[in-house]
Amino acid sequence: MAIDAHVHPVLWSETLEFDRAGLAAWGDLYSAHLMGAMDWDEVSVEMDAGSVTSAFVMALDLTATVGGTVVSNDAVAALVAAHPERLVGFASVDPHRSDAAAELERCLGGLGLRGLFLHPSKQQFSLDESCVEPLLGLCERHEAPVYVHAGMSWQPCAYGEDARPARFERVIAEHPGVRFALTQFGWPWVDEMVMLLLKYPNCYTDTAVNTIGSPQEMMERLFLHDLGPRWLELSLSRQVMFASNTPRFRAFKMLRALDGIPMPPEVRHRVYEGNALAFLEGGDA
Amino acid sequence: MVVLEERRYLSRAPEEFMDITEDVRAVVRDSGVTAGLVAVICSHTTCGIVINEGLPCVEADLRRMLDRIAPLEGDYAHAHFLPSYGATGNNSPGHLKSTVVGSHCVFPVIDGEAVMGGAQTVWLAEFDGPQKRKVYIEVLGE
Repeated sequence: MAIDAHVHPVLWSETLEFDRAGLAAWGDLYSAHLMGAMDWDEVSVEMDAGSVTSAFVMALDLTATVGGTVVSNDAVAALVAAHPERLVGFASVDPHRSDAAAELERCLGGLGLRGLFLHPSKQQFSLDESCVEPLLGLCERHEAPVYVHAGMSWQPCAYGEDARPARFERVIAEHPGVRFALTQFGWPWVDEMVMLLLKYPNCYTDTAVNTIGSPQEMMERLFLHDLGPRWLELSLSRQVMFASNTPRFRAFKMLRALDGIPMPPEVRHRVYEGNALAFLEGGDA
Repeated sequence: MVVLEERRYLSRAPEEFMDITEDVRAVVRDSGVTAGLVAVICSHTTCGIVINEGLPCVEADLRRMLDRIAPLEGDYAHAHFLPSYGATGNNSPGHLKSTVVGSHCVFPVIDGEAVMGGAQTVWLAEFDGPQKRKVYIEVLGE
């Protein structure tokens, strides 16, 4: 059993009912013209095949940079309403929007979304900009976690230097009451990500590292080479969440690769499920 | 006369052999064609059409043979990021197995029926599931 903590539902048919322009935007922004839309029966069967019980699904608001959303907050809210047993929704608000705080309040209050997803390199802002502070304040008040894209992105105009984990340290340190998750171990800056995990218990990361090779190759590289042999077990086991970054990568293939990484059963349980719940709801894994 | 039917099948596992024999027979019967050919064609590159005896042991042997040819992990050139897809090519075994088994089959149609050998089963063979697959069943004749 696993929770997939990081999914972009951009190519789901139900999302496209709301955001018809999203597919075209996905093709242009993500360089993915050949991928097709999936009906919910396909999505759910794929989750079943990987024993993925639920997934955190992310909106993406690029209002200030490209003038629209790839997946809107309303689309994510509709997805969650249709499949509440399997989906948890994260809002996206472009911090440079003049109504950013009001939109986030609408999402966390009225729409029932559970957290905030930020993509500093794609949305082209710095996490320590003043416009972000009201959003973090709202998240703290709503006890809503904040997911932040970190590390390499294949998207055009998403520059790596804006996504280095170390760039986010000050904000994480100054908001100990907010739970942050940085994606994909901040790859390729895994050492910076480990530094943040060691220093800040309110900081999490995920396993969606699959930027260059097969899932097996990347999981082995991450857990058996980039990390020391017992770092996960002894120091990081409460802060690492399974995630696929779907649709880039299929969750069951990522899980199959992760299954091959040796770790104690209690650590595996935390990585696969417990840490995602702790990140979402607070408390211990 | 040409009658074309498009069918969609949802596989439920990474690899799966789905028996579509009766669907092929039904399309032929409903087509009105009494003499000709029926073609079964899948429109994908990581699944295929297989004809063989529909026994679990035969299916198991087929799976083992295909796994020997294209194991899950291998030295695959396709296993790199593909900008055109926005994803890493992590389905090389599916492409290779699809090539080995082929993507279509043909049967004669006589007296309005698809004529198959007594042991023949038509499988849609999934090698990169689960996902929805499109199969064309086309009946040509008079």
